[in-house]
Amino acid sequence: MKKRFITVILCLTLVFVLVGCGSSGDEAAPDIDEVVIGITNNNVGIDSYQTTHYETFREEAEELGVETVRLDATGDPALQVNQIEDLIQQQVDVIVVWPVSGDAIVPAVRNANQQGIPVLIANSPIDESGFELVEGFAGPDNLTQGKYAAQMMKEALDGEGKVVELMGLPGYVTAHQRSDGFNEEVENYSGIEVIETQPADWDRSRAQEVMEDFLTKFPSGQIDGVYAADDNIAMGAINALEEAGRLDEVKITSATMFGDGYDAMKEGKIYGTIYQSPVEDARKTVQTAVRIATGEEVEFFNYFDTPKVTLDNIDEYERPIW
Amino acid sequence: MGSSVKTESNLKDSSSKKINFAEIIKRHGILFVFLLMIIGISLRTDSFLTQNNMLLVLRQVSVKGIIACGMTYMLIGGEFDLSVGSLVSLTAVLVIDFHDILGPFAAIIIAILAGISVGAFNGFLVGFLKLNSLIVTFGMLFVIQALTLLYTGGQYVSVSNQGATWFSIIGRGFIFGIPIPVIIFGIILIIFGVVLSKTVYGRYLYSVGGNPIASKFSGIPKTYITFSTFIITGLTAAIGGIILGSRLMSAQNYLGQGYEFDIITAVVLGGTSLFGGSGSIPKTLIGVLILGFLSNGFIMMGFPYYVQWVVQWAILIGAVWMDVASKRGKILA
Repeated sequence: MKKRFITVILCLTLVFVLVGCGSSGDEAAPDIDEVVIGITNNNVGIDSYQTTHYETFREEAEELGVETVRLDATGDPALQVNQIEDLIQQQVDVIVVWPVSGDAIVPAVRNANQQGIPVLIANSPIDESGFELVEGFAGPDNLTQGKYAAQMMKEALDGEGKVVELMGLPGYVTAHQRSDGFNEEVENYSGIEVIETQPADWDRSRAQEVMEDFLTKFPSGQIDGVYAADDNIAMGAINALEEAGRLDEVKITSATMFGDGYDAMKEGKIYGTIYQSPVEDARKTVQTAVRIATGEEVEFFNYFDTPKVTLDNIDEYERPIW
Repeated sequence: MGSSVKTESNLKDSSSKKINFAEIIKRHGILFVFLLMIIGISLRTDSFLTQNNMLLVLRQVSVKGIIACGMTYMLIGGEFDLSVGSLVSLTAVLVIDFHDILGPFAAIIIAILAGISVGAFNGFLVGFLKLNSLIVTFGMLFVIQALTLLYTGGQYVSVSNQGATWFSIIGRGFIFGIPIPVIIFGIILIIFGVVLSKTVYGRYLYSVGGNPIASKFSGIPKTYITFSTFIITGLTAAIGGIILGSRLMSAQNYLGQGYEFDIITAVVLGGTSLFGGSGSIPKTLIGVLILGFLSNGFIMMGFPYYVQWVVQWAILIGAVWMDVASKRGKILA
């Protein structure tokens, strides 16, 4: 009897100790110099935006004195799921996910949630079914960027004209949001009509091909504006327009500025674009992640500022290095 | 040569007096598909069957078409090269970057050397070490991507003073109203077509891919033939990269990504067998044109992209089916 009593006591003690260890992460939020942020990126190096984001993320974390575990899913949703599991195993204080696919990561994020590790979604949104599992989102507001591009298009065309749209890669949430934002805003303007939308896959040579086809399909005078999902696509469209000698006929707006788009705007080839800085993006993400890790309450949507840029205010901005 | 040998054996299998339906499909089916497609699209849109649009499509397909010529040799010889897309991006980045350092002529030489070297390395692994070409080149796809990425750091490289160089003529120029990429494509088509159908090398190639054992006993140097097809494909990828670089006057690491899929699709559409030993350059041209006109026609007709993906897939399945059906002499299994 006495022996059994001791065994019970020992078992209970063991349970308490184990439970205590397991939950210590939740109970007391770590100090800022003890924070470890784990991040799994979408596809570092596929474009200069993501490369710059990756570097800035490291620099900003160093500046704040927090440790980081930085992984790259190389565009592979399955790999990203594994990386989230790895970060859970490593017991980081907060997991930042730049989703390759907004749906595929939901089960892995649920797992992190059950283990008590907070998740912050960066840059591209998670599927809505994952909203309640994450602490929040840090990144650009692509819907608004699309709307801004539509507003500038209206300005450029004096409220009257036919527009073709070159969108990003279908299936990538950013591509759809920039398209939806533009089209939703255009519906408010009776004079502006989107006559056709085709994907250019974020790819300059593809954008040039599609624009060449548009120019054959719609003879001179039938296109007044081109909306490009980013400056990369806009540059492809400009190549095609210049070759056809029809650049003067159209106004171009884009939803994100890149380096050569900056030059093109100074030459008057692009009317308006949006300054979405990967530096601002990465900083906002690190700062939000640190606030979550140290137990602060954060808003669900943490957008960084993405202002409109035209020839009037371009000199307020440096030429993007991305 | 090889394809006609096959044709005879197929005819012997079935009764020789009856018209073999599978045989007609095998020989001319892809032409029917092509003509039907052209007629179908031009009925629906006026701007499709115009001289300008034809030239436009020819120029759009020329880069992939040039590489498809190399890939035709590759598939006839019974091997695959999945690394061509990455090689396009590497050579495009090299030619653009070295343009400002060493001038256009040296940059072109460097890009071509890079293409040949990668091809030679693949060819060494597959030809001399007898490694599986799918595995070797699939790995090489990522190795080259990594190299390009390291080299550029994910940033765009572009020619700084675009007005002051003759380099842009390659991708953007015209001779007698015909775009220069199309002329280069035409010259390569003729050279590749003649070499394949009229020379000993061409005969060896068919025999190495169609019947490796027999070709071994007849003393055909299979190792060197395989090695050479990789160098040829690497060379065509480099030419493609140079033209693309010149058209855009800039390059980045993801340029050309996924080309390998389109190119192999085009070659198989043209009737080159995935099993090696048969195929021809004129048919590859038809395959390339089908893909090009499809992509152009869909935009002309204003179809959304998801329809394009499904139709492209359906046409490819049709082509592979023709290949398989003609091999067994029956439409169904």
